[in-house]
Amino acid sequence: MRPVSISDSLAAEDPLTPIRRERILPRRAPVNLVVTSAATAVIFAIPFVYLVIRNLSADAALLSAVASRQTLDPLLRTLWLATTVSLSASAIGTLLAWITMRTDLPGRTFWRIACPLPLVLPSFVAGAAMLAAYSPGGLFEQFLSPFGVGVLPRIDGNLGAFLVLTSITYPYVYLPVAARLSSLPPSLEEAARLLGHGPTPTFRRVVWPQLFPATRAGGLLTFLYVVSDFGVVQLMDYQTLTTRIFTTRLVDTPLSFALGLVLAIVALLIVMSERLASRDVALAASEPSRRPIVIPLGRWRPAAFVALFGAVGTGIIAPVVVLSWWAYRGLVNQASGFASTEGITALIQPTWNTVVVSIVAAVISVAMVLPVAFLTTRYRSPFAGPLNAVIVAGFALPGLVIALSMVFLALRVPALSTLYQTLPLLLLAYVIHFGAQAYRSAQIGVAAVDERIGEAARTLGSSHLRRLWRIELPLMLPPLAAGGGLVMLSTMKELPATLLAAPFDFETLATRIWTANDGGFLADAGLASLVLICVSALLTWLLVIRHADHLR
Amino acid sequence: MLAPSLGTGPTIQMQYYLNFIVRTLSMCLILATGALFISCGSNDDETLTVYSGRNEELIAPLLDRFAEETGIDIEVRYAGSVELALLIREEGEQSPADVFISQSPGPIAFLTEIGLLTGLSEDTLDLAQHSKSGQWVAISGRQRVLVYNRGNIAPEQLPSSIFQLTEPQWDGRIGIAPGNGSFQDFFTLFRLEHGDDVALEWLNSLVANGAQTYGKNSAIVQAVARGEIDAGLVNHYYNARLKVENPDTPSENHLLDTGDPGAVTIATAASAVASGHQELAEQFIRFLLQSDSQQYFADETLEYPMAAGIKPAAGIEAAATIDLGEFDSLGGGLERTLELIREAGLDI
Repeated sequence: MRPVSISDSLAAEDPLTPIRRERILPRRAPVNLVVTSAATAVIFAIPFVYLVIRNLSADAALLSAVASRQTLDPLLRTLWLATTVSLSASAIGTLLAWITMRTDLPGRTFWRIACPLPLVLPSFVAGAAMLAAYSPGGLFEQFLSPFGVGVLPRIDGNLGAFLVLTSITYPYVYLPVAARLSSLPPSLEEAARLLGHGPTPTFRRVVWPQLFPATRAGGLLTFLYVVSDFGVVQLMDYQTLTTRIFTTRLVDTPLSFALGLVLAIVALLIVMSERLASRDVALAASEPSRRPIVIPLGRWRPAAFVALFGAVGTGIIAPVVVLSWWAYRGLVNQASGFASTEGITALIQPTWNTVVVSIVAAVISVAMVLPVAFLTTRYRSPFAGPLNAVIVAGFALPGLVIALSMVFLALRVPALSTLYQTLPLLLLAYVIHFGAQAYRSAQIGVAAVDERIGEAARTLGSSHLRRLWRIELPLMLPPLAAGGGLVMLSTMKELPATLLAAPFDFETLATRIWTANDGGFLADAGLASLVLICVSALLTWLLVIRHADHLR
Repeated sequence: MLAPSLGTGPTIQMQYYLNFIVRTLSMCLILATGALFISCGSNDDETLTVYSGRNEELIAPLLDRFAEETGIDIEVRYAGSVELALLIREEGEQSPADVFISQSPGPIAFLTEIGLLTGLSEDTLDLAQHSKSGQWVAISGRQRVLVYNRGNIAPEQLPSSIFQLTEPQWDGRIGIAPGNGSFQDFFTLFRLEHGDDVALEWLNSLVANGAQTYGKNSAIVQAVARGEIDAGLVNHYYNARLKVENPDTPSENHLLDTGDPGAVTIATAASAVASGHQELAEQFIRFLLQSDSQQYFADETLEYPMAAGIKPAAGIEAAATIDLGEFDSLGGGLERTLELIREAGLDI
């Protein structure tokens, strides 16, 4: 079978004419696709339905409480923080992806594994470790003091939350953009270069329009993550909507649920307006490439190194240094009750549990959202907008809401009661919470598969499923692997649902870290975090990086 | 494993992906089925289910010993006390929990109001300090203290009361965690004893005196240890634990005068959930109040034992009298506390 070459057809067009042909969404969606997508949407809607039910008895007093300044101010702070963090994370993530995927920087394999890693640290650990590193009297200051650097300012509030959140969320942008870069047809860039354009105009006019959907998808995920975050803003003493939900959850539970609904509505509105604002840009078709373009950095090499060290150093190296220091202190100080061999063997089962649930959650998420991605990307359908919103906005909900909605579901629906406190229910919680991450990448993957290939296969008599399996899935693999990778890394650090909805005695590395950190057992928290980082680095390499680079 | 054969054309590569996907999917299916089997444990009558807001590191050995001595199986879920209270509320009468252990009495009061707890019998309550309404009994305690950096504060400068912290020499040097449950517990007891006006005036003055706010106790202790601030109002536990982790830490606990509002004890409380296993639940709670269990809290968890005349461990300064807060009702309790904290201009 001769490979279908898309570059043949594309090379005929001038690559500097932006590929913005109006996308034609001609066909009505097949019924089975609509039904599958609707079923998926019903599942993803569970936490929203739960919030509505919990708010049904809301009285007028509650409405005025929700409309008060005590809600408005934290809400505005949430939006401000989410906007600034997603902008900076988008810039950093896109830049790092381009450097690691397109340039001749030495040690690219190392950087490709290191760049996504900050995502795996639970935010309370990342926050605590960065405070220990960069605060007044912290490790960094002690390291700098011989060089005459004075006292560092306290890290807290808006700026502190912005810095910590940016450094742990840029991978939401990095992974989809890097995946897009790896499947971008080299012919585009080559043609631009042949026509005499330098790297900068080529990037600005050819590459950037192709990357932008991935950057925007990652930026939206970052936005929603910040909206849902509690661990960092609590440590930074920055009052957002989630801290308000936290403070009121016991004293005024109805208000807390009302605030949760406010958060959900805001998230839905943001996601819907993002979709409306998006220009329907045709993506250059993904193409298996055996000759990646390598741009020599030349005199920019030091600057590229500084950028990588800055991001990876803040996001993962500094926390690793602090966590290692905690673990080391426990090792040398026998009185702490920290026994290294016992500490490590106690982590074997949680590590295994973590690996299994995160991989399974990632695969199920990708499989569940793929039909919806086809529907919302390829067909004109009135359901596309709402489907998109309900799947993506779930990522912004606090984990506690997701966990409680699972409890509600299992105990109120008789057929599901046997599932209560079992792994399938926990996996469902992960999929609902994190499916958005797989979904956005899947959309990019679907949009970038040239439909003409499918048409060609159809004229050759190939069936629907066969075309999907043999032609489209392989072409979509880099973005699907990136999306699945995001789900996997998020599941590895998930806490609220794991604590409340997991089977008894089911421990993950994240719950071990939480327990140790909560009790002040810093050495144990450090060791378990280091294991989490190592395991996630290994899995990211095995399952994501190798597939994103697959056709090298 | 699964290495792609390079340079053999797209047909073989697609075969490889198909294989990869099929293998991954089938592996996941097998794992999920296996996991389902493992997790479908039986829940017979001789199983005690404990929801513990108390940290696993600080109670798991006692649970193991109880299971060993009595032959009763224990299932336990660890999470934050408030989260577990919300979970029990959501589960309602179907809750599998028999015993709820909370790091402070507030979440128990929350469940009492919904009517999901059964209360404890006299036999159990008599063993230790307990709530007036008999809903919970204290199993261990944490003392409110002033944690300070000994490099920045000389012992003779230390205050004997929280009222001194509003004086000019403490300007900008004190850390508090107003959004944290233990600060709110302390403040509730403070205003119940001294009245809302006194408590609010103190908090206003403290804020005017440049008190620094933090998100939680451990963040204050870490900040004091680094020298970021000089002192902070916290539970004694976190610095006692930090001294074990890092014996060189310059942070020290300072016990305020007996009877001072800043020297109250916050109880870790045990209660029974209406699950039909009342006798089993109380048997377990009485076990936690035995002298060897209480000795465990004194020696291993660096806390104040609450029963059986056991003394706290060396290095943990003993409070002259243990003044235990009453949290039988949340109405006008925590809610009013949050109002006053906000009135003082603290954003929580």
